[in-house]
Amino acid sequence: MVNRYNALRNLALMALLLSGAALFAQTATGTINATLVNKSGIALVFDTDAGGVALGASGTSTATLNFGTISAFGPLSAGVTRPSVGPVTFTVQTIFDVNVIEGGLTSANYTLTANLAAAAPTGISYKIDAVSLTTAAQTIQTNGAYNADTAHNLGLVVSMSAPGAGGPAVGSPISATINFTATAN
Amino acid sequence: MKKLVLLTIVAVIMMIPSLAAAQTATGTLTVTATVNSSINLVFNNDAAGVPLSSGAGTNTATLAFGNVSAFGAIAANITRSTTAANFTVSTPVDVLVTKANSASANYTLKAQLGAADAVNTWQVGGVAVTNAAQATITATGAYGSNVAEAIAITVPFATANGTAISNTINFTATAN
Repeated sequence: MVNRYNALRNLALMALLLSGAALFAQTATGTINATLVNKSGIALVFDTDAGGVALGASGTSTATLNFGTISAFGPLSAGVTRPSVGPVTFTVQTIFDVNVIEGGLTSANYTLTANLAAAAPTGISYKIDAVSLTTAAQTIQTNGAYNADTAHNLGLVVSMSAPGAGGPAVGSPISATINFTATAN
Repeated sequence: MKKLVLLTIVAVIMMIPSLAAAQTATGTLTVTATVNSSINLVFNNDAAGVPLSSGAGTNTATLAFGNVSAFGAIAANITRSTTAANFTVSTPVDVLVTKANSASANYTLKAQLGAADAVNTWQVGGVAVTNAAQATITATGAYGSNVAEAIAITVPFATANGTAISNTINFTATAN
């Protein structure tokens, strides 16, 4: 009899526990204290210029620019011009934009420098605006305006000599990487 | 006083990083181009020839002999020869072919009339030129220097006075 009583009591307790779980939704609460430090900074991105070659990865800080096929006398891709030809070299040129974005700075403008990541390929030299590039940083601009696209000319000065005689290799892509640094003034 | 000194030192220390480290941002632009060899042809005035009427230094020029006749006065720098049935006027024009990024040693120059001329005979560099096919003017043209090519027209005596003679000579230089 006692055993039967105990069994009934246990069943009743289980029923009560189950009904409680059904009646009250489970909740949990927590508090997080978020803290941030507003750091000032600048960022540099390359943008396609309306008058120039379309950049690969435009709007980022790691872009690509392909002149396509270039020659002293043949046709050029859209956005590429040939401001000079001969007698020793020819120059092809395009325009790209640099946008240096700032936040939280009192700096009025920035200085832009550029350098080749490695020695220029044989028979080709690179210019940003009027500045010939080397592997050492060269100053391109000393008073760049923040938060606006600033157009720069990228020129390739190409030797007209034959391959193996001081001229560049022909018929295959030639690449160079240009590193840019913007420094807040 | 000690507190003031301490506060000043702390303030200076806090300012040092902003003075020492200028804010910088970097970017990388990878530039690619494929160089092709090419050649170019232009016409230039020859010192001993009739000056080009237009287009000197380009590949589309105009040469005007002016009034020509078998026996009358003739303009400067025009050479004339006469036979029993016709006369020939000739003047040199410089052809300049330039190469770039090419190991080609020389070029072949060909010429062809733009339209048929059943009456007059045309020559370039002593080679008869018609509109039927390209005629080879030289097979070993030297790059980078003006090469004088005589442009000659042979006109029959039967041609009426005041007849205008005009044609286009198309030149093609091909790298060898």
